[in-house]
Formats: sequence, structure tokens, C-alpha cells
Amino acid sequence: MKAVGASAPRYDGVSAVTGRSVYVDDVRPAGMLHVKALRSIHDSASILRLNVEPAARLTGVHGIVTASDVPRLIVGPLESQGIAGDEPLLADHEVRYCGQPIAAVAAETEEAARAAVEAIEIDYQPHEPFLDVRLALDPDQPHITPEGNRFHYERYVERRLRRGDVDRAFEQADVIVEGVYRPTMIEQCPLETQAAVAIPGSDGRLTIHSTTQALYYSMSIVAEHLQVPLGRLKFVGGMVGGGFGGKVDTPCESVAALLALKTGRPAKWAFSREEEMLCSSVRAAWHMEIADAVTSDGWILGRRTLTLHDAGAYTRFSPYGVNKHTFHLAGAYTIPNLAFNSYVVWTNHVPSSAMRGFGVTSASFAIETHMQRTADVLGIDPWELRLRNATRAGDITATGVRVPDPSAVSTLLAAADVAGIALPDRYRSLHDARAPDEEVPDHLRAVVSAGYSGEGVGV
Amino acid sequence: MNLTVNGVAHDPLRSKAMTPLLDVLREELGIMSPKPGCRAGGCGACTVLVDGEPRRSCLLPLGVVSGTEITTIEGLGSPERLAPVQRAFLEGYASQCGYCTSGMLLAAHALITRPGAAVSRDEIAEALSGHICRCTGYVTIIEAVSAAQALR
Repeated sequence: MKAVGASAPRYDGVSAVTGRSVYVDDVRPAGMLHVKALRSIHDSASILRLNVEPAARLTGVHGIVTASDVPRLIVGPLESQGIAGDEPLLADHEVRYCGQPIAAVAAETEEAARAAVEAIEIDYQPHEPFLDVRLALDPDQPHITPEGNRFHYERYVERRLRRGDVDRAFEQADVIVEGVYRPTMIEQCPLETQAAVAIPGSDGRLTIHSTTQALYYSMSIVAEHLQVPLGRLKFVGGMVGGGFGGKVDTPCESVAALLALKTGRPAKWAFSREEEMLCSSVRAAWHMEIADAVTSDGWILGRRTLTLHDAGAYTRFSPYGVNKHTFHLAGAYTIPNLAFNSYVVWTNHVPSSAMRGFGVTSASFAIETHMQRTADVLGIDPWELRLRNATRAGDITATGVRVPDPSAVSTLLAAADVAGIALPDRYRSLHDARAPDEEVPDHLRAVVSAGYSGEGVGV
Repeated sequence: MNLTVNGVAHDPLRSKAMTPLLDVLREELGIMSPKPGCRAGGCGACTVLVDGEPRRSCLLPLGVVSGTEITTIEGLGSPERLAPVQRAFLEGYASQCGYCTSGMLLAAHALITRPGAAVSRDEIAEALSGHICRCTGYVTIIEAVSAAQALR
């Protein structure tokens, strides 16, 4: 235990401050080819014709891959959790977002690769895109997948959470406070863009330098696309120039690997900053509606929510993110009657993916803003509203877990200290465990007392 | 076209007059510490010192800087002999993913080695305002630059 409480030097600290850290874009194997992709210019379109021959004839072009070159075109990132994939590595008969890769070229120089991409002939039949997540429940909107615009969970279309008797809570409420919260999409924007260098070995193994945040996970994705055993791949990672979630996506590795195999030469695919901003994955945009049934003295009896998560054009990790989101929608508070409905909605936006606590940050933003709104409507101190409803020891969460050691009260009091806010003594005397003589209202007594903990906002 | 980089003369260079200094350093000379974060002058990760002044190497054609002395982080100090800013960044945990670090260090070094009184926290923040750290390590970075002044 000698490391606990001690300040250990960073293992890569000296190399970082002397410029000796080697990132993927710094790897320069002899004979390395440069990869560029033909990307969709439409949000939604059928591909009527694709002809790469004019590009293949250009000087300096060594290999081109399209969907038909990929041994297993669709690999789902959540297959291990039983969620089938829906996104092709390279688009075949249709494109569902602007920037979706369709073909990739490996050439002597970046300029030659870019010129080759320009020379590829493609004809599209554009379709009306579906872009407004608020219209997800409107049957008259264009369907952008054969299954419609909503991902289906195992039992229901949406991720549902039910607890207590929410209808009764709303009947008993003095006031119903409603709000709509719409955090927009965010690009993770690491300073190092997505990149991979694939190097074919004389022994048939492929060495892949990857910017991935999840090395063995990315390795399994590439092995699936290539349909090769893991032993054929050697992944080199560990030096990531910022990830923030977006570098679990493995967007470059499989294509670079296919081109390395096809040409017999090392191949590098590094996104430009424009590609990173326009068509690498994002933190999703969300539309959240919250209605709270509250008493005039500041108890929250029940909560109803509707969440529309803009997954973008393909599923990726969204069902997992929306699970997390839904399980956190009571926040750090004791609310015994709940009805949450959360939908993963496909749109023709760029696909969304992980970013720092994805699913939970949107819930926290909406809930805490809503708590402020409720305090304003009731005319009570927002600190009191939060402390009154905060999770206490022994409470039961939205997902049915009894919490032995919550920290909502102590965290709120510590936050007030840091912010320099002088709270009244009656707040100061509160603890994470209820005092024996503390007021417990009827709606909490009925469920012994309920609650919540485990706000995971950082990954 | 010629450059002196970290005290070593490179004359003549193969790169053309319109080649960005960033590519001359990385592709012709194999000096990889200036990073192509955006190639548009927006992030600061490619910053090098041109005759002692911090400049964005992605925006400078070789023809404009031919004949100058270039310093990259490799020329500031070595693992055995760290410059004050390097030591302060190391000891203050002011580098997270490291991608912005070289540019930050060079801009900070230029700031604190200028003649005159010690620089304030605001002056440090101003000098580094064109450098993006997406790991959001600005607090430790500014503290490290401040600490580096005392190490000199």
C-alpha cells in the first residue's frame, strides 16, 4: 500500500516533456502508404453506382477497398451484450449520414490518395433525411432503417423503468413541475485525431499501431472484420493523444489493415481535423422531458420522464448509454414513484458514441436544472429542496438497490462550503443517515424510504 | 532553403519553399514533437521557436523562415538535463495525454526567459491562450509555468 497517498512520478512523464513520446501519427515504417476515404456527401441516399477503376489507374495508387472487400462487413460493437450490429465498415448500397466512408484508397502520398478519391465515380439517389429527434414518435417521418427510426430493446421499444405508483403520486401532488432539456451534440475533439498504421509482417501477422482507448476490444473488432484469429494481429497502443470516449470507436484500424493486406505494404489512415469534426463520432444530442409531482413544502412524490436520444445513423454504444441514462434519472434523490421511458432514436446525423459518462451527464444536467426550476416554482431554497429529497442511508434506488452509504447530503454540504454559501443550521445538522427524530413523510414511509447513489459522471 | 534546428545546420533542405515548416520538421528531418493537431493554426500543438519566438509551424512556409534558427522541445533539454519548464511540468503533473505539451513548453519557455520581471498568472494565461489542452489541464499547466520561473 505504499503507493496510496503518495505522489508517484508518471511512467511516461519524462518522455512527454522531452517530446519523445511516439504517437500513432509519428510511426514511419519504410514504404508506408497513405489512406484517404471517399465519404458520403448526402445525409441519406441510395448508392446507384460505384466505379473505382478510374482511381485505380492513377499513378501512385496501390490499393482500393470497398464494402465487397471486407470479409465481415457489419460488426456490432455490443455483440458481446447480445445487440446485433447494423453499421457496415464501408457503405455498400446506401449511406445514412454525411461523411460516411464508402471506399478507401492507399497511395504513395496523401496528395495521390486524395486525387484518387476525387477520381472515384459514384451516383447517388438522395432521400429525404430524418434529422429532428423530436419527431421520433411521428409515424409519418421517413424511415431511415428497415426497422424504422427506433432501436428495439429486448421487451419494449424503449428502455423502461417503473417504480411505485406514479399515477397516484401525480394525483396527490400540490404542483406538477414540467421542463424540457436539450443538450446538443458535442465532438470529443482530442488534439490527436483518429489514426491507425497497419504493417504486414513476413510471417503473415499484421502489426497495428492504434490510437484506441480500448486495445483488446479494438483488436477483437478488427479480427471480426478481417475474419482472422486474434493471433494474426499484434496491436500496439498505449499512447493516446486524448480520447474522451471517442477512441473506443476503432474507425481506422480495420480499413488500414485491409489495405495493408491488399498492398503488402504498411498503410496509415489518419483523420484530418475536418474529418474529426465532421464525421467522427460525437456525444449524442438529447431531448428530455421531465414532470415532477411535488408537494408545496418541497417533497418530490413522483417523476415521469421521456427521453429521445439522438443515436445518429447507427446504433454503436447507444443502447448501453441509454440504459445508464435511464437508471440515473432519479438523480441523487429519493423519489419512490417513477415512470421513465427512454428511446434510442436513429437519425441521419453522424453516429454518436461514448464521451465521458455518456448517458449520465445528460441526465444530471436535466435533473439539476429541473431541481432549480422546481425550487423557483415552489418559492423555496434550492439547497433545501435538494437536501430534503437527497438519498439517505437505507434508501432504495430507482433500480431497486438499497444504499448503505450514500453521500448526497455530505456532498451537498461540502459543495456549499467550497462555494462559500452559508447554509442555515437546520441544513448543517443533516447527515447521510437520518436522525432518529427526523421527519419522514408518508410517501417515503410507505416504501421504507427510497433513494439513490453512484452518480458516475467521469470515465 | 536552409534551417538551423536545435543547433544543427540543415543546408540545403529538399523541401520546397511552400512546404509548411511543420512538414519540413516531421517529414524531412524526422523531428516528431511538433504535432499536427489541426493544421490550421488553431490548436498550438505544432508550436516551435523561430529565432526564439513561438510560432505555429503549420502556418509557416519554409521560404518565409529559411535561414532562421528553429528550436523544438528536443532542443530545449534532454531527459538527463531538463529545462526549468520541463522539470516543472514533470513535477507538477502538467502533462496528461502529452499531445499539446511540446507546444505549451516552448511558448512557456519563451515567456519566462524574456528579460524583465517575473510574469504573473494572467500573463501566463495570456501567453498560452492559443494553446488548446483538451484534457483541460490548464490549472496545473499555469502553476507549472509559474513554478518554472523559480527554478531558473
